[in-house]
Amino acid sequence: MSGIKVEFLNPFIKAAYQVLEQEAKANIGKGIPSVQESYFTLKDISVSIGVTGKVQGTVLYGMDERTAKGIVSAMVGGPVPIFDRVAESAVAELGNMITGIASGELEAAGYPCTISPPTVIAGRGTIISTVNIKRVLLPLNTQYGELEISLALQERLV
Amino acid sequence: MARVLVVDDAEFVRMRMRRLLAEHGYEVVEADNGLSAVHQYRAEHPDLVFMDITMPLLDGISAVREIRKEDPGASIVMCSAAGQQAMVIEALKAGAKDFIIKPYQPEKILEAIGKFMHKGEPH
Repeated sequence: MSGIKVEFLNPFIKAAYQVLEQEAKANIGKGIPSVQESYFTLKDISVSIGVTGKVQGTVLYGMDERTAKGIVSAMVGGPVPIFDRVAESAVAELGNMITGIASGELEAAGYPCTISPPTVIAGRGTIISTVNIKRVLLPLNTQYGELEISLALQERLV
Repeated sequence: MARVLVVDDAEFVRMRMRRLLAEHGYEVVEADNGLSAVHQYRAEHPDLVFMDITMPLLDGISAVREIRKEDPGASIVMCSAAGQQAMVIEALKAGAKDFIIKPYQPEKILEAIGKFMHKGEPH
């Protein structure tokens, strides 16, 4: 298995702070990063975004439905009683914005890459294989609950 | 009434833009992919376009090229989460007037309208 470069982590943390603070008025506390061995999604809702270029792999954003509703409610400026299409689109966009900003930072650091459109996965226990790339889990605590950023990224050497 | 075409595959983004622009008196038309944007531009003749980049069927930069072929004076502002320099340059070369990086800041949207709106005023 390949390890993830530490310099790939910070752009995502920085971008997540920026987007969550701006979009959802979130107060954020950083949890302890860990390496994830599981292939299963452990949260109700996951947003998956592919990265290709000098850095390649997958980024997952996982959250419980209650957390997703809280974040989306702050984003749309009103209550979100059900997790509907607009809510799904909002969490997808949240992941898209974080990854997009982080990819700009990675490019500036010498790792140009492009990102795929987000995919939303609803339901725990879905198998998401990142093949032979280890995942690093970055938990962020907010007043809405925990947002887990899972990074399975590696440098493309050729 | 000035008309703005909002192109984004994310329903949430279109909803938010629709609200903001309607509050400021603009008529909003929407498209959820680049191909539909080209058709909508042809049909609706908007005064300004806000265009996402990564979309299904036809991406935003290709849509800008198609629209500019038909209307070289089209006012198009790119709005994207992906703010890589290479992408910004490609969008501007394709004929976009400006590039706004998401998350959306309403003041940036309104500023772009003030700078690039072709004709017409909000009611």
